[in-house]
Amino acid sequence: MLLEVLTNVFTVQIFFFIILGVFTGICIGALPGLTATMGVALVLPLTFGMEATPGILLLIGVYVGAIYGGSISAILLRTPGTPAAAATVLDGYEFSKRGESGRALGISTVSSFLGGLVSVTALWLISPQLAKLALRFSAPEFFLLAVFGLSIIASISGNSLAKGVLCGALGISISFIGIDSITGYARFTFHNINLLSGMSFIPVMIGLFAMSQAFSTIENIFTPDEVSQKVSKVWPTKADWKIILKTAPLSGVIGTIIGIVPGAGAEIGAFVSYSQAKRISRHPELFGTGITEGIAAPEGGNNGVTGGALIPMLTMGVPGDAVAAILIGALTVQGLQPGPLLFTEHTTLVYSIFLGMFIANLTMLVLGLSSLKLFVKVLSVPKSILTPMIFILCVVGSYAINTSFFDVGVMLFFGILGYFLQKADFSVSPAVLGLILGPMAEANFRRALLMSEGSYSIFFNSPIAWVFLILTIFTLAMPYVTAFLKKRRMQNA
Amino acid sequence: MRKANFIVSGVFTAFALLIIALSLTFPPSNHGVPGPGIFPFIIAALIIISAVALLITTLIAGPKLDSKIDLRSKNIINVYITMAGLVVYTVLLPMVGFITTTTVMLYLYIRWFSKRSWWKCAVISLLFTLAIYFLFGLVLNVPMRFGLVL
Repeated sequence: MLLEVLTNVFTVQIFFFIILGVFTGICIGALPGLTATMGVALVLPLTFGMEATPGILLLIGVYVGAIYGGSISAILLRTPGTPAAAATVLDGYEFSKRGESGRALGISTVSSFLGGLVSVTALWLISPQLAKLALRFSAPEFFLLAVFGLSIIASISGNSLAKGVLCGALGISISFIGIDSITGYARFTFHNINLLSGMSFIPVMIGLFAMSQAFSTIENIFTPDEVSQKVSKVWPTKADWKIILKTAPLSGVIGTIIGIVPGAGAEIGAFVSYSQAKRISRHPELFGTGITEGIAAPEGGNNGVTGGALIPMLTMGVPGDAVAAILIGALTVQGLQPGPLLFTEHTTLVYSIFLGMFIANLTMLVLGLSSLKLFVKVLSVPKSILTPMIFILCVVGSYAINTSFFDVGVMLFFGILGYFLQKADFSVSPAVLGLILGPMAEANFRRALLMSEGSYSIFFNSPIAWVFLILTIFTLAMPYVTAFLKKRRMQNA
Repeated sequence: MRKANFIVSGVFTAFALLIIALSLTFPPSNHGVPGPGIFPFIIAALIIISAVALLITTLIAGPKLDSKIDLRSKNIINVYITMAGLVVYTVLLPMVGFITTTTVMLYLYIRWFSKRSWWKCAVISLLFTLAIYFLFGLVLNVPMRFGLVL
């Protein structure tokens, strides 16, 4: 099998797509207003005509590159290119103020690579074991897993549990449209032939993540673009290397764990890693003044999330974050179903993804250290030209999946809806994750009851089911418990 | 935000009631196995509970913690105009054709947003449209020839 994986990955075509993906990702990540999710959603249509391995690796390259690329504008412009780089601003911009932006970018590049490396190793080690465990799951366990995934997504995304649940439920409701997979009954189709096969979730994702984000950019389209300073000496110093090697791998571990939790994205990974580094530091008061740890920790943490997010996605079909949700879409387009069977039926592909992700991280390191000046130039592309081009990419991308103009309308509708939802302080991620987990929950719920001839006791019969039940209750109670404890602590103080 | 939360609660409740009304017309459960309407019914109930919870928490929070949502400033009006333009573009696209509609749409947006000279905007619009046309049409084999013109 090892030989098969090596011959599958070590080809000119695969290397070309990985380098293209990482390069595109860094450019997208570096531009403020373009997120990693948006980048992956925009590049996704290009993979429709490709084979599975190059297509998925192109997207993974964009993902890895964009998460790292966000640090470029965070350090140079004090504006995070992606939300994942928000924590990097705190110390990164202080370096630029001292005229050491090159050194800061070098620290960010090496730390991102180390964080990514840790997460790929975890992906390689944990995923096969988790897939083996998931093979023991049957319909009740998969139903409870989907419910757990939905509960955790609702509780950690956004500021309000009610809004998270509403958005997740909206996504599930969209998934009802079309012919019911068990009875063949047409649901919520309103006699529209386009709705019979269900709502294609790629246009929905492009609308919610890319189009709505582009609409938000229009709000400040007439604000002049910031001009970045020149970059030199990107190679970290000897002292920096010591700190990076101590901080970034640990942050990578934290990021990987956070990535595994469904719904927790790279921004959470970065902030948790930053505060953890500050807590264990001998000089926490220096954080925020421009120190090496202040860049190494968040950058190691956010790139650590990339591999972690793929673990539940590949092993159980539960997306670790919004990008993983889009990758599920990419795999589905290729006729592949993420889950434990992927590891037994498409072993070569799975291990090619692991190896390809490692190469993507390596590419990021090489491109980051050698071509930073080029990426800094990308920052001068004006948003007044870029934003209308994003509109076209959204339209063509939605049309390309089924060559249907109906899908373009769907994308535009969800783009407008996503914009207003964000205005009302909703996070749109639960909607997309609901769209993916909803059908999984429904089909397994009904299949389980079919197995038990209508007895609900089937959901309480196995230890795995109990684990998911307890985790779901714990997750839903958590925000209230935390709020209660915070209130009591404030009263005591 | 307070007003928005009330509106959102109302809209979601109405949406849930519509789901319930439609799912009641679906075939019933058979020998304890849920029919196609059960899960939509459960999710609709969840929407109503969450909408009520949002309403109550907003009422409890009171107007003191309220923040204003900007929906009428000049910057937001620009977003609405852009949205309207895209709706028109989406309608015209299959009728007129990709190259013509997209070049014109791009030209208008870039000229509006960037205030560059007309010929620079025209060149950028045409080159980008052609690049997308050839990438999707020739490299990725997506049928891009449609409409009366091209």
